[in-house]
Formats: sequence, C-alpha cells, structure tokens
Amino acid sequence: MTPKGGWVGKILRVDLTTGKVSVTSTFDYVPKFLGGRGLGAKICWDEVPPEVGAFDPENRLILATGPLQGTLAPTSGRFTVLGKAPQTAPTESFCRSGVGGHFAPELKWAGFDALIIQGKAPKPVYLWISDQRAEILDATRLWGLDTYQAQQMIWKLHGWKTRVMVIGRAGENRSRIACILTDTGDASGQGGFGGVMGSKNLKAIAVRGTGSVPVARPKALMEITHHIHKLFARKPSHSDPYQPEEKNFKYNIWGGGYGRGSLSLLPGELLDLCQDPSSGYSQIPDGCFACPVSCRSRVKGPDITPGVAFCAQSYMYLESMVHQPEKGYSKITWQAAKLGDLLGINAYELMAIVPWLSDCYREKLITEEETGLPLNEIGSWNFASKLLHKIANREGLGDLLAEGGQRAAAKLGGKAEKLSFMYYPRAGNFGGYREHWVYLGGFPTGYAIPSLALMWVLDNRDALVSHSYIAMLWGAAFTIGQNALTAVPEKIFPALKTAMKVAYGSEEAAEFLHADGKNLNWKWAAPVVKRYHEHSLLKDSYILCDVLFPYLFNANSADHAGDPSLESRIYSAVTGIEMSLEESYGQGEMLCTLERALAVRDGRTRKDDILHDLYFEKEDAGGRKYIREDLERAKSEYYRLMGWDVNSGIPTAAILERLGLKEVTAGLQKRGLPEVKS
Amino acid sequence: MTKDIDRRTVLKGFTLGAFALGSVVSLGSLLEIITFPNGQKAALARGVILADKSLCSGCRICEMVCANFNSAGRNSDSLSLLLLEKDYLRGDYQPKVCHQCADPPCLKACPVTALQIDRQRGTYARVIDERACIGCQKCVDACQRYFRPSRPRFDPEKHRTVKCHLCFGDPQCVKFCPLGVLRLERSEKGLLVGYPIIQED
Repeated sequence: MTPKGGWVGKILRVDLTTGKVSVTSTFDYVPKFLGGRGLGAKICWDEVPPEVGAFDPENRLILATGPLQGTLAPTSGRFTVLGKAPQTAPTESFCRSGVGGHFAPELKWAGFDALIIQGKAPKPVYLWISDQRAEILDATRLWGLDTYQAQQMIWKLHGWKTRVMVIGRAGENRSRIACILTDTGDASGQGGFGGVMGSKNLKAIAVRGTGSVPVARPKALMEITHHIHKLFARKPSHSDPYQPEEKNFKYNIWGGGYGRGSLSLLPGELLDLCQDPSSGYSQIPDGCFACPVSCRSRVKGPDITPGVAFCAQSYMYLESMVHQPEKGYSKITWQAAKLGDLLGINAYELMAIVPWLSDCYREKLITEEETGLPLNEIGSWNFASKLLHKIANREGLGDLLAEGGQRAAAKLGGKAEKLSFMYYPRAGNFGGYREHWVYLGGFPTGYAIPSLALMWVLDNRDALVSHSYIAMLWGAAFTIGQNALTAVPEKIFPALKTAMKVAYGSEEAAEFLHADGKNLNWKWAAPVVKRYHEHSLLKDSYILCDVLFPYLFNANSADHAGDPSLESRIYSAVTGIEMSLEESYGQGEMLCTLERALAVRDGRTRKDDILHDLYFEKEDAGGRKYIREDLERAKSEYYRLMGWDVNSGIPTAAILERLGLKEVTAGLQKRGLPEVKS
Repeated sequence: MTKDIDRRTVLKGFTLGAFALGSVVSLGSLLEIITFPNGQKAALARGVILADKSLCSGCRICEMVCANFNSAGRNSDSLSLLLLEKDYLRGDYQPKVCHQCADPPCLKACPVTALQIDRQRGTYARVIDERACIGCQKCVDACQRYFRPSRPRFDPEKHRTVKCHLCFGDPQCVKFCPLGVLRLERSEKGLLVGYPIIQED
C-alpha cells in the first residue's frame, strides 16, 4: 500500500565518478522499511557488500529522511546519515549517525526523500539540489575553507534559505573522525562520514526546495502535535526565556532535570557575560526544525565564534575548566568547541582523545618533543588549537589521531592501548566508539546497570543509552533530589516502577539489583534491551529526536508513566497508515535484525559483542561488578528473544523468513554463514 | 524655490491630516472606517499578530502549523503565510507576519475584489476569497513595495494567492509557538497598524 502522506516519492542517486544523476522510487523501500535508519540499512544491504571499504568510491553515502521530515511533526528536523563507517574499528562496518537542524525538511521540499551518493569526483565538487533537480558543481574555491566560510559562500551563490551539509579540513583529509556540519553546530559526527565525503571529493551538499510534503490527516497531526507540545514544554516566562511560565513545570527531556537551552554553557566566565546585558554577549534558546523544546542555545559575543553548540560538542574541552578553575566554562572552552566545528572534527571523539592523551602523558608514554604538542598545559587554548589543527591537517601525531582514538591507541600499543580501553569499552572487531554511560554516572564512577552493559556490547556504534532507558534512571534520580552522579540505585526503584511497566512491560524491570544489594539482577536485561532496540530503531526510522523520544518518563506526573505510543500515532497521522504500538514493535524488531545481518555480513559474531576486561575487573561505586558469565547469559537470552542463533549471534533463516527478509537469508547463505541454513 | 516650499507645505499638511484622522480613529473609537484622500475606505482589523523576535528560537513551528492548517496538509515553508527570516550564522531570527494594514496596499491592488475584509468572522482581517482569486499576483507586487518578502503568497499548484486571515480568529501560529514569540493583539475598536503607519519592516 502506498502511503497517503509523509513521502514525496523520490530517491536521488548521484554517481560522482560519471556525473550521472538518477531517480528511483521511495516506494521500492517504504512503508516496509519505514524510513530513515531502516531505509538506509536496506540500501546498504543491497549496495554495500563487505568487500567495499569506507573510503572506496563504491561505498555509499546515504542521507535518509523519514516520513515525518518536512512536516509539523515535533522534532521532525532530524535525518540520518548511513553507510560503511570508517570510524568503526578495527573492522569498518555499517553505521548510522543522526543530524538535527534544518537540512532534512529542505531536502524533502526539494522533492527527495533520500540521497544516495556513490563514486568519486575527479576534482573537488559540491552538490546543488533544488526543486527536483540536482547538479554537480565545481568546488575548487570551497576546498580548504572552514565549515562556516564554505556555507557563507554557498549562501551567497544560492540564497540564505539554502541548507548545506559541509565538511571541514578534517573531512577533506579523510579523517576517520570527521563530521559533516550543517548551519553552525548540527553535525553528523559518529561514524566518521565526513571522511567518506572527503574521499569522494565532495565538499558540500546544498539543498533548497519550494515544494511540500503531503500529510494524510492534517487535523490529527495538529492534535497530536499540540498534545506533545504540552507534555514537553511550556512558553517561557517573560523575564527569562529559559524559565517556563508555569512555575513547577519540568521540561520533559532527560527525565526532567534539563530543559530549554540547558546543555550549552556551564557556569563560568562566558555564562556570566551572557547574563550581563551590557557585555554584548548573549545566549538565546535555539530550536531545531519543528522542536517545541529548543534544548540548545545559540551564543554570540564580540570576540567569540557565534553559533549553537550542544552537549558533547560544547563540553568537548572541559579540561579548560580544570586548567583555569577560576574561570569555569570560559571563552576558551567555547572557542575550542567551535574550532572543532570549523575544522569539521567529531567533538564526541575528541572527548576521548584529549583525556587519553592526558593519561598517556601522565604515564610518560608520550612526550612534548615527539608529539609537538604542549602536553603539560592541556586545557589551554594553545593546546586545543595545536591539537585540532594537527588532527585536521594530519600533521605529526595528528595524522595518527585523525584515524580515531582506538586506531591510534592500537598503533601505539602496549600501555597506551590499555589506557584507551577506559574510553573505548567494546572489545572485538567492531569497536571504535567512545564510552557513553556504560554505568549510571559514567565510568569509572557510578553504578553498574545490567541493561546498559548489554546495550553496549550489542550496538554497532556507541549505545545511545543517555537517551530513552537512562533518561528514566535520571528522571527517577531527579525526583528524589539527586542526579546521575549521586543517585543510589536502591533509592530510585520506587519512582521507576510504573514507568518501567509502561515502557518495558514489568515493574520488576526497575530492580536491577538483588535485594541483598550485593549483586546485579540480570533477569530483565535481555527483554529490556530488546524493547530498547525496538524503540531506538522506530525513533530513528520515523525520525524523531533522541532527546524527546521515546517518551518513557514523565517528570510532571505522580506516577511518572511515559507514553511510548506517541511515535506511532504521529506516524499514523502523517502517513495515513494505521500502526498500533504492538505492530510498530514488530517493525523495530525486523529492522534491528536487518542491522544485525549487516554487521554479521561484515564479520561480526557473538565474540565481538563483548566489553574489555577492565569492565569486569573494576567495582562500581556500590562495590558491585559486571560479571562476565552474567553478561554471556543475558546475551544468550537476548539472541533467543530475537530469534538469532545463540552460539554465533547470527539471525537464523527461520526468523529472517518470519520477518520477511528473504533476500537477507539468501545474501548470508551466499557468504557461507552456516547458522542461517538451520 | 517658493513653489517647492509651497508643495512641501501642502504635503506636510496632508500628512498631518492623515495623522490627525488616525488619532481620531484610535482615540475616538467612533469610527471603524479610515478614509483616505483617494476615497478608499477600509475597516480596521480587529486583530493582528505581533512578534517579539528577541525570544525567537527559529524552530519554524509557526510556518509549519500555518501551512498544515491552511493548505489541507501540504506542509511547506513556501505555503506558510508568515515567514521566518533567519540569519543562521549571526543568530538573528525575524518572524515576518502580515500586519493587516490599516490601508492595505494588497486590497487596493486586487482587480477582481477577491481581497476582502472579513466582517463575517469579526476579525476584519484582510483575506483572499479563494473562489474569486485569479492568481494575477498584483497583491503580491503591491505588498512587496513596502514589506519584503511579500505577505500574500502565490500557491503555484492551485494558481491562487493566499494570505494570512488570522485562522478565523484563532491564529494557529500563536497557539503553537513554543516560546511565546507571537501573540494576538485584539481590539474591538480596530487597530491602526501596518501600512501606512509603518512603511517597511
């Protein structure tokens, strides 16, 4: 059945080698593969076999929107970049990366649901897409420019309404940790797709559209949108754009402890300046397309780089706060983050590289002389600017670091590699992604939580655990006046019960410790993680924002129950396709298995789903440990629940058949993966 | 020289006259009709959307809800009846709303009187009767002389021009704006706003 709304119907394919531009129908893929992450995974399955390396011309750079992009649906500004990721280490493999901002709606309005870029241009080019047309244009004069300058040039040529995805120096030099940036701070970071763009000699993708996206049930969309606005946000009080007019209202993101514009500046020099109206500095909430919350802030001032920065990006250089504690979050912290954006380096990866370098220097494994970096002043502007420029230009040690922290550490070997395990938790052949709440409260502090460990071993990048599941834990911590760093697990169970029942089907899932308080309770890890994967796949396929969805914890109600049905209701309103919650979970399961099959085809098996020894040796803040046998048992149960072979972690023929993925069975069998035959 | 001064004095007189008339309208509340030297009469709008750009987060919900509501679910910024002008780099975001002008240039320019004043709904908004519009875009040109971009917008698919009609008295952009940037100013006496009080924005 062809959806009545949500899609504009065309996928644009650009072959940079031949300069050929062609169009295929979106309905070859949807509604079966939903859109976004699911759509991209299917394209990758069809077109990017394991033999294709991330920087090979034959790799595909896929920019996929979902059915909701370009409509009123809340947080519909996001889209997904997919392909074979250079960052996954040591084996390059399929990965995805979400981007916010305002690019996705423009692509839809220009008449395309997705963009597949293949081949390699003979010289630097950029892609200009406008109203059903696409042109490959010369970018010789854009090559080498920073991300802001390149966008300004393109705006001059094509008008300010044009939205641009652009790479900086890092991407041009095929860094494995290069991001693709749009506007002043929205970027596709994880995966290193900036380097893929650079390897194709593609500097930028510029889009402008004047078309429209049809919505099947406009009235229903307005109703659900209004409902969601009310759940997540309030209009601000007039004196302060950050305060809700309703005094005790909590913006419902990340469990309610955060709110509008809340993750940009920390207390310190720069925030003080912004709050002083006479200083010339200011910060105002800044929203991605159609977002009612506006969790980011845009910051400007006479001597700083203006723009938005959010979360990991704005916290990329917190070492500066240790270096100059009296200044707190200073102009240096901000400028370092913006320099990363200008050069197009993934801030999230830098958050591992900088402390790891610091550890190596402390252990006398690297010296200032051999690296050419002022390592004794980590936290200074001098260090940040030298490090970032070296990485972007691939000079000296920067050449190694541009390969990503995990690859650099492996090259150095020995103790330096051991030190890196703290930042790169997943062992096996499919790691390469920085630690991200393996524990509640972060590693090495905080509390071990079985589901988080299981999420981490199974993902094909960093598990997005700071959203959805962990947001519930944070929310529960906030309700008892604590936060992620201070909350004691036993204390937050009561606040979690109803919310856990709604989200994961049982109140018991809240209790991740045994009653004795000494051991972790792994009983619910596998079912919780299965549901978590379904939630993630659905959210990334409709494409809604990680910060708001899935909505599992209501900070403003007594029982804190969320509502996981919001996503499917938006989907139904926009596309006109009825989608019950149960049905949608089935779709999530199917897409999760498809992603697994992609990793399996690249060589991933059960033994790659493992954490480094370090994570089984250290005790958490409550004196408990992750125990290897427990994790292995939970993995077996998870594979069983998903219908994958328990010994190998490979989807079986039976489950692929049931999920309607016959072509995947054939593809895996062709590669002699015996488990599939069963 | 004297002739010049004379002309200027006369012009000044006209302007003062217009202002005086304006004051009468707003203060006296006896008249709902403003009359201009050319004989055109236009009832003042009883509602207008005002925007405080200092709070704007640039999320564009206003544009989307407008397009979704007013064009039967065709979601697009090019069909939205208010526009968000954004300088992304310097972070300057300006919602451009229809002023429901006291002396609407669009209304005067319409050759088929498709542009009318909505008395029926009581908003007295300047609206386009879709059945009468011939898509000549003269209103677009007229508005554009003062306000850029033009507030009436041409819908190429339907070959009609569309403009802000205050959503029959309940503007959806105001209702949905998450930051309270937009608000609806109402007055039963009529509001002396837009052209000719302001002649650009």
